[in-house]
Amino acid sequence: MSVSATTKVRAGSSASAAAARSERGDREGRRLGLALTLPAQLLVLFIAAFPLLMQAYISLTDWSPLDGIGWWQAWELWNSFANYTDLASDTRFWNALWRTAVVMGICVPAEFLLGLGLAILFMDEFAGKRIFYSVLLVPMMVVPAVAGYMFFMLFQSGGPVNDILSTLAGTRVSVAWLSDPNLALLAVIVADIWQWTPLMFLILLAGLVGVPEDQLKAATLLGASWWQRFVTIVLPRMKAIIVIALAIRVIENFKIFDTLYIMTGGGPGVATETISVYIYKLTTQDLIWGYVAAIALAILIALSLLAAFAIKRMAAAGKEAP
Amino acid sequence: MTNMIRVSRRRLLASGGQAVAAIAAVGLAPKFIRPARAQAADALAPGMIGGPTGFEGAERYQYGPDTPEGRAIEAVKELKGAGKAPSRIVLGLSDGSIGQLTQPFPAGAPSIKELWEKETGITLDIVGVPNGQEFTKTMQDISTKGGAYDIYAVEWNRLGDLAETGGIVNLDEYVEKHRPEWDDPERGYVGGQKGVSLLNQYRGSTYGVSLDGDFQVWVYRTDLFNDDAEKKAFADRHGRELALPATWAEFDEVAAFFHRPDQGLFGSTDLRNQGWGYTNWYQRYVSMGSPNQFLFDDAGTALINSEAGVKATEEYVASLAHHSPDAISWGWPEQYGNFASGGAAMTCAFSNLPKFLDNPANEGSKITGKIGSMLPPGRAIDDKLVRRSVLWLNLSASVSAQSQHPEACYLLLQWLGSSRIYAWMTANPGGYFDPFRLSDFSDPLVRQTYHGYHMDIVRETVARTVPTINYPGATAFHNALDENLVAALTKSKTPEQAMADTDREWKRIARRVGEDKLLEAIKANKEAWPTVLDPIGT
Amino acid sequence: MTRSPAFEIFRYAAILLALAFALIPILWMTSMAFKPIPEWTATGADLTWWPKSPTLDNFRFIFGESTSALIVALDRTAGKPILASLLSATFGTIIAMASGTAAAYALSRFGSGQNLPLALIQLRLFPPMAVMIPVMIMWSFLGLVDTWWGLALIYGIVTLPFAFWLMKTFFDDMPREIEEAALVEGCSRFRVFIKITLPMMRAPLASSALFVFILNWSDYLIALLLTTREWVTIPVYMASLSSSMTGQLYGAKAALGLIAAIPPVILGIAIQRHLVRGVTFGALKQ
Repeated sequence: MSVSATTKVRAGSSASAAAARSERGDREGRRLGLALTLPAQLLVLFIAAFPLLMQAYISLTDWSPLDGIGWWQAWELWNSFANYTDLASDTRFWNALWRTAVVMGICVPAEFLLGLGLAILFMDEFAGKRIFYSVLLVPMMVVPAVAGYMFFMLFQSGGPVNDILSTLAGTRVSVAWLSDPNLALLAVIVADIWQWTPLMFLILLAGLVGVPEDQLKAATLLGASWWQRFVTIVLPRMKAIIVIALAIRVIENFKIFDTLYIMTGGGPGVATETISVYIYKLTTQDLIWGYVAAIALAILIALSLLAAFAIKRMAAAGKEAP
Repeated sequence: MTNMIRVSRRRLLASGGQAVAAIAAVGLAPKFIRPARAQAADALAPGMIGGPTGFEGAERYQYGPDTPEGRAIEAVKELKGAGKAPSRIVLGLSDGSIGQLTQPFPAGAPSIKELWEKETGITLDIVGVPNGQEFTKTMQDISTKGGAYDIYAVEWNRLGDLAETGGIVNLDEYVEKHRPEWDDPERGYVGGQKGVSLLNQYRGSTYGVSLDGDFQVWVYRTDLFNDDAEKKAFADRHGRELALPATWAEFDEVAAFFHRPDQGLFGSTDLRNQGWGYTNWYQRYVSMGSPNQFLFDDAGTALINSEAGVKATEEYVASLAHHSPDAISWGWPEQYGNFASGGAAMTCAFSNLPKFLDNPANEGSKITGKIGSMLPPGRAIDDKLVRRSVLWLNLSASVSAQSQHPEACYLLLQWLGSSRIYAWMTANPGGYFDPFRLSDFSDPLVRQTYHGYHMDIVRETVARTVPTINYPGATAFHNALDENLVAALTKSKTPEQAMADTDREWKRIARRVGEDKLLEAIKANKEAWPTVLDPIGT
Repeated sequence: MTRSPAFEIFRYAAILLALAFALIPILWMTSMAFKPIPEWTATGADLTWWPKSPTLDNFRFIFGESTSALIVALDRTAGKPILASLLSATFGTIIAMASGTAAAYALSRFGSGQNLPLALIQLRLFPPMAVMIPVMIMWSFLGLVDTWWGLALIYGIVTLPFAFWLMKTFFDDMPREIEEAALVEGCSRFRVFIKITLPMMRAPLASSALFVFILNWSDYLIALLLTTREWVTIPVYMASLSSSMTGQLYGAKAALGLIAAIPPVILGIAIQRHLVRGVTFGALKQ
């Protein structure tokens, strides 16, 4: 969201520059611009037009592939807004949404704090820095599906995680992680933190390194403590980058599926059923596609409003701070 | 061979269906190899027009012109002559079952695929579908008009869902014409026409051909139950003889007696996990009434949110006490692994458990020669014992409405699903298709693979087996039940809540499916429920 | 800045802890890939961190050669899925980069396509699962199901936002003087873009492309729904090695996982520096 904010500001400035040029009669530029944006516009249209129209249409019906009629005949099963009213009272949907929010509420701050902590440790030179840096980034390069299988094994009750805990505790630990609703959620969260803390670390370290050394030195000479320097000089300069790092993780974490689904399948019960898992189950098992379409559109509208709101806020903030 | 001998249970299990073909080749085959070589490759017994050759006893699987197999092959040839047969049939089949069609068994025999191709000249193209994805892939092919398969093989109880989509072909016309004789009293389905109706039909029409027999069967450890010290300890504690449990109360008592987790022995390892465990809830629930406690009444009202439902759920949750602490996350592989290592006194599983675990070739199994089979526990009602098991998963094959040659596809299924070819196929340990026809239970090759003691119990269990939900919306109904049961197991819900919530979700599903469709399907389903009652004291 | 010895000790301790956390799952996968069958599922007291008798059998197995009497060689080896992953991820990257770069340049220089920034953000925000029904129907209608080009197309679309945003950042920051000089000399705008701008952007292009490639390579959900047989990708193929009914082929999965990790790790390390610039969308001026 903030991402778009920054860019919107930039887009604005380049747009005005372009406008200035086109006033000079730069029709060639405009024509070329149109041509160059055409493929992207077509791709967006291609993926948006039909799916949106179709979803909007079938979301007003009870259509399911089980009905034996094509989706275009869905009007035979018209139910007006029943899907949307169902959605309002679908506790499983709201629980899944809440669970997604909980996962996000734990994962994103944890990834941020761990990433920031590591980044601070990596601010200056020390022996082995380069190799440590490279190795710490590896988790985010592992294909998520593969990570899912590995964590599934790690969290077996006779598995490696309990083995380590047993060694540390000095007594046999045999917790059945994936059998317990709360622990299963915790296991899924740990896997996400494992995979995505490196991205936070990468971005935040780059931001930290960008803080001008001389300002820090001046502050040190003035007797500022490390904490004071961090809060008064480093954090303000990192504001934009922090917002971007958080935004990326919030967006991607909202869609959490691959690793989680392979680890738990959303279970035990519905203990780890996030919004993507819920939709996946409705799509492939319950097959109530009209209802799925209603959920999809509701999410799209909610997200678009959120995004537009955030962009507005960011643009306003962007204008205040030069 | 040396490799074979060192084979461990883990190996056996881990490699699953693909692995067992090797047992076929190495472990079981020598008995059949001897004279087979002497026979000419194509020598059919007198009067036979087709079937496998090249091994001792092959004539049992050969067929004359007036058999379902013979008619199927002849009809295919006719279609071919008329230019109405395809050059290729694409069969979507779950990965673990392909071996039974592609791997020769016993030694000297052709594979099923080779035999079909030789006799008809039509290529059989088998496309693997990951286990558990059968229904998803099929629905996708139907709803998007993908046309990737001629034949789908999907869990039996989704037949209603599939038929309602119009994506599979009504086979009545072909059944009439080619007479598969599924209800043959000697060789046909258990229960005759009732069995056929249950497995192959939906709302009175044939839509599928059963290729499986996933009746859940109970097994126990003979070494524990026959041990004198155990017998004495049990008698001392409970004041009665240690015996195979006839009722659920006895079962829970015996399981509790053997439950010694500190010694690595659990009372029972019947499944409790998501997607599988609910079948064990079924057994406890349906035996709450005589002859059956139904899931729905004739008006389509769910009966689970009741005293019977709550009590079954309470028992189901309480029984966790004599299970592994991991039970909620244990699936088939972990269950078999635990039982093979001598980790439990009893379990309920697919009928193939003894085929894998009571097998001299499986050196890793600590319970070879120590497995016995028993009827499901039940309840005493009105001086009779109601023992009930459950039919679950059970692949059956249907012809895609997108196939250009539905009749040829049906004929393949008639050939494959008829007694001779089917018995030969199910005896092959290379896949998961289990015996279910009367002729299978007495077939020497099948009894060899599955063990005689087990086959007799399987046959009796089949007669006491309740079908799972097979109406439209089956998947959604089961998922709702399943999720609530797991919630009860993890103590996130009380049994009362779990049943009440299931009831509420079922109502919603019923509304979406359409009650008229449902009522008819519920009625047809109920007709297949068993009525066998046992005298008390058996 | 000099630090106290106490800080150095703390630093190394903390980093080692982080390394352990990062590496345990990876070590487990690596070790599993070399374990023989009996060690795969050994748990509890039998659990082994390192293979007791290391073997390459798992790698041989996924390429169709079985060295155990108990595992029959696979009909479908990992070769084709690896090819499918490579083709779909590569061409998906080309689609995303070509259209994304062109659009980014147009917006950056001529202000064309003002709707794209928000539209593409929405495209990325939206859970792919929620649009898969119409996509499955479209793909089936167009004959794109179970083809690598069909996968490449959808990959190109879902990663287009990243390609666009990354390249736009780079174009915005690129000095205009050289382009303007070329224009003065009479080059057409298109020639300037092709002959002057793009060659100068070689490094950003490469790093953005690699980042987009990694995103495509990682996909599981889309390929699960849009492939059936011929062109299943690595993650989907891996699932067929691990179904509940066949028992888990843990070693084979780990071996394939290790192979699947090679391209992203190599590429990822190669582009680390640019990656930062890319994912922060230029908020970070280096």
